[in-house]
Amino acid sequence: MASNMNQSAEAALVIDDVVKRFGRGQEIVTAVDHVSFTVKQGEFVSVIGPSGCGKSTLFNIIGGLLGDYEGAVKIGDERISAPHPAVGMVFQEESTFPWRTVIDNVAFPLELQGVAKSERMDRAHHFIDMVGLASFEKAFPSQLSGGMKQRVSIARTLVSQPKILLMDEPFAALDEQTRLLLGDKITQIQQQLNQTTLLITHNLTEAVQLSDRIVVMTYRPGRVKRIVNIDLPRPRTSDVVGSDAFGHYVAEIWNDLREEASRGMADSESAASRRAAHG
Amino acid sequence: MAAAGKISVASRDVLALRLLVALVIFGAWEAMSRSGLFYGEVVPSLLKIGASLIKLLLDPIFYRNLQVTALETMLALAIGAGAGITTGIVLGANRFLMRAFEPYVYYLSPTPRIILFPVMIMWFGVGPASKIALGALSAFFAIALSTAAGMRQIDPILIRVGRSFRANIWQMAMKIYLPAMRVPILNGLRLGMGTAIITVLLGETKLSNQGLGYLIMQIYTRFDMPGLYALLITIFVIAGAVNALIGHFARD
Repeated sequence: MASNMNQSAEAALVIDDVVKRFGRGQEIVTAVDHVSFTVKQGEFVSVIGPSGCGKSTLFNIIGGLLGDYEGAVKIGDERISAPHPAVGMVFQEESTFPWRTVIDNVAFPLELQGVAKSERMDRAHHFIDMVGLASFEKAFPSQLSGGMKQRVSIARTLVSQPKILLMDEPFAALDEQTRLLLGDKITQIQQQLNQTTLLITHNLTEAVQLSDRIVVMTYRPGRVKRIVNIDLPRPRTSDVVGSDAFGHYVAEIWNDLREEASRGMADSESAASRRAAHG
Repeated sequence: MAAAGKISVASRDVLALRLLVALVIFGAWEAMSRSGLFYGEVVPSLLKIGASLIKLLLDPIFYRNLQVTALETMLALAIGAGAGITTGIVLGANRFLMRAFEPYVYYLSPTPRIILFPVMIMWFGVGPASKIALGALSAFFAIALSTAAGMRQIDPILIRVGRSFRANIWQMAMKIYLPAMRVPILNGLRLGMGTAIITVLLGETKLSNQGLGYLIMQIYTRFDMPGLYALLITIFVIAGAVNALIGHFARD
């Protein structure tokens, strides 16, 4: 990170006082409540919080899929209200096209842009290689494991060369070991491309392993509780998970998170007991 | 008929049962024919039907009429499919339009289109155009309904991926909707093909001067029963083969 300190003052993405409410009348739920933070050029920022902290709503707003909100998400001077070419999204759900091979999946955004076939294949190949799937280019998603499919999705988003990589719990469905190893891959790619990245997650070790900064959100309504700088050395690998500093960060953030998570849990338990009483 | 393509995977017992059923039907037919219980040639013997079948298949008149009907059906299907797939995508993609138009499509789709035949004759004349129009109309509903249903089955995440990469409407349709709906669309085409064939043939039997439906009525007027059965068998086989072909593509 030290090498690009000079440009790091430049904010790639500004989240400025964003509010999103759902419903109407008595039933209004505030999902995101006056959230502000910035992501600097080349920085890896994670947003962490329990289920119900509005992080998926935030993901959709930043990705431009939810255009109706208060406040501003800005890239340069532009306020985002529709999908923006500078933002590349990776979804939590399995999102590869089952009828396309790996290379045709990855080439998809280039196809939309009208890039010529040979260049499309070259660029797709480059990113497939980067996520470590070079020998699976001709395979169909149904022949791949869950982790491999997510790597295809990541390559597909990277091929469009977004200024900001926006990911919503891309490894949520994977087991912990696969998750740590894919974390390594992400770190490696991010350092190689100096890729500005915003990761939405509820996984604490994943957030600490990957991030320069972590935005901790509160349970409903989703506010910024705290922003924590992660001063772990780079280049980083999953080995960092065993270090004292890592444990210290996890403990510190868990302190904040536990309170929010227990509020969320109490809420969903009382909702469940209400449902049970009615049933 | 549609199962013709599956014979290779069916077990020997299933095949044996099928053959048995066919033999029983043929046997019963032949018995009825020889019993003398039916007037004249109403139930002709299988041998006579076979002879007529060979005569029919060697007759250039049959092929000329087959060509007319095939062309009418293909054009009807092409027009019905173009309009049906487009309508299905538009209705399936837009909840407002779907709610507004769904009752029309649902309640009109099972109505018999043949009652519109006189109107089509007035608009398009006695020739192939009126059969094509009627066939297209009947194929349209089957295809539009199954496309709209297919739209609702598309995994929403794939649509979000398309939006996130800023695909325009045309790109969404060609690169996401259509490939994601291959199976429901092909099923719609199969149903549409079926109704198009029925409607075109029906139209031809009512009022026309060419086509297989016309030929059926010609043979009927001559009271050439073996010839009539030979033609019907041929039409069944052709329609079944077309169905099996589309069904083959609809399988994953």
